[in-house]
Amino acid sequence: MTSPVISVRGLTMGFGGQTLMENLDFDILGGEIFVILGGSGCGKSTLLKHLVGLHKPMSGSITIAGMRMDPGDTETFHRILACIGVMYQGGALFSSMTLGENVALPIAEYSDLDQGDIADLVRLKLRQVGLEGFEHHLPEELSGGMKKRAAIARALALNPGILFLDEPSAGLDPISSAELDALILRLNRTLGATFVVVTHELSSIFTIAGRVIMLDKKSKSIIAEGDPRVLRDTSPHPFVRQFFNRRPEMEA
Amino acid sequence: MTDSPTLTVDLRSDSLGLALRGALNLHTTPAILNRLAKLPLPLPGRISVDMGGVERMDDCGALVMIRLQRMAREHDSAITWQNIPEHVQEVARFLRLESLPETTRSTKTKPGFLARFGMKTLHVTDQAGNHVAFVGELTVGLFSLFRHPGRLRLGDTITYMQRVGVDALPIVGLISFLLGLIMAFMSAVQLQQFGANIYVASLVALAMVRELGPIMTAIIVAGRSGSAFAAEIGTMKVSEEVDALITMGFQPTMFLVAPKVIASFLVVPLLALYSNLFAIAGGLLIGVTTLNLTPHAYMLQTMNTLTIFDVNWGIFKSAIFAVLIAAIGCFKGYQVRGGAASVGQATTSAVVTSMFMIILVDSILAVILRYWRP
Repeated sequence: MTSPVISVRGLTMGFGGQTLMENLDFDILGGEIFVILGGSGCGKSTLLKHLVGLHKPMSGSITIAGMRMDPGDTETFHRILACIGVMYQGGALFSSMTLGENVALPIAEYSDLDQGDIADLVRLKLRQVGLEGFEHHLPEELSGGMKKRAAIARALALNPGILFLDEPSAGLDPISSAELDALILRLNRTLGATFVVVTHELSSIFTIAGRVIMLDKKSKSIIAEGDPRVLRDTSPHPFVRQFFNRRPEMEA
Repeated sequence: MTDSPTLTVDLRSDSLGLALRGALNLHTTPAILNRLAKLPLPLPGRISVDMGGVERMDDCGALVMIRLQRMAREHDSAITWQNIPEHVQEVARFLRLESLPETTRSTKTKPGFLARFGMKTLHVTDQAGNHVAFVGELTVGLFSLFRHPGRLRLGDTITYMQRVGVDALPIVGLISFLLGLIMAFMSAVQLQQFGANIYVASLVALAMVRELGPIMTAIIVAGRSGSAFAAEIGTMKVSEEVDALITMGFQPTMFLVAPKVIASFLVVPLLALYSNLFAIAGGLLIGVTTLNLTPHAYMLQTMNTLTIFDVNWGIFKSAIFAVLIAAIGCFKGYQVRGGAASVGQATTSAVVTSMFMIILVDSILAVILRYWRP
């Protein structure tokens, strides 16, 4: 499982004439946990939105599972969407539906299972993220961490081959955050799914990341790529070492 | 990967042998579950399941195991699992399949009539309390503004005056003009029979200035701005912006509600006047083109009919409607709990409640006027 499932070539992105990143080239390999890093506001979440086809690149290409990402080509786009799951920063659960309904929505739409089996499956999904028994709760009745886990359960609904998680552990207590890391590792192992994660949490990075890339706002490019443990000690770039050693910029 | 066939069935009089093969996932599982559901009943006393050929199983594939377990229990059959591969065992352990209870059907029961009646009553009394609190807070806020006018957020107030008033000019003008036109047209048909053409001017002027001008304007403002107020405050509520205001020491009534109420109070009466003007223009057009009236005669009749009291009364009503619409819009926004759906409900409710209150208050005022100036 070493062939790339996502290839990004010459990606330039930005909004309204202002570029955020220029000429990004990287591959994400099948079955790995790939982490996108960078300072606040450098465009990590924007990159994620490009990878899932919500934003159109200014130039360059994104290929997922051998298919070129192009929101204009509806058929290919839908085939790509069938193999990805996304967890958004705030969870993005539908507030008018219960948790169970949120998770059941894609399953009912894209599978031939009957109601009873869907209820069982929803229960298994929520069990995986530790939310069994909350099927009938509305999102507003949950804490922030629970919403995140529920959002992961919904992203997992169709067992996609690639999961995109935007800041999964932000705003969680250390225990919940560690549990979430364990969950990601376990899902990665049992489902063999590829994970693309945007996160700031250092402990989380060292626990889960197979490979990371670090984006830099000033040079608008990738300044580091590889194993975070190696980068922490050996990166020639001062910002990278600072980031991994959690030091403010003044000490550089 | 051998995707199919994934299930072979060996049915005998005293035993049922099943063998699963290939991948058990979202694509293959529905078909397997279907075949299991079609097995002839009752099931024999012994079921054995050979899992040796399963190459991959995810949580959806686990539904097959759950279903088999359940079927065996329902029919008092003894089930034995054979050759479970290590990876399947791992998934089963991870999902804690052994502890999935009998049924996962919803156990939520609808509360009885009495319970629902009670809940509704509690809700209504709770709401009534909120209404009173809001009206009180708003009154106190507005009175404190009289004493300290500097505390009014002037920039916001002017912005809302533009949104409620200036931006509504085209639609209010168009609708009023057409309304005057239609009224003149319809009444002309009747009045012509009696040679009372000139009274078309009186009818249009009086009906518009006293009743329809203020009401039409209020309904347009409720639809345009009342809904916008509810949606704006509701969304702020959802994204905790209202909480942020409170913890920063701002009073949300002063910050959010007062500018909207005052802006509406100032511009809606003007809008109503403007509406009257366009309605009379509409009537004039019909009078001149189809009733052989001169513009001079039409306007003279209009001015003879209207008293200054009629105009003032219309303006007075408009001001009351304006405060009602703005306050109701803001109040409904405050009531938002949860998310997007709740904002939608609040918006709808703001418009419906505003219209109801406009008509109700208008009726009450009509009755009062009847006894005050017979």
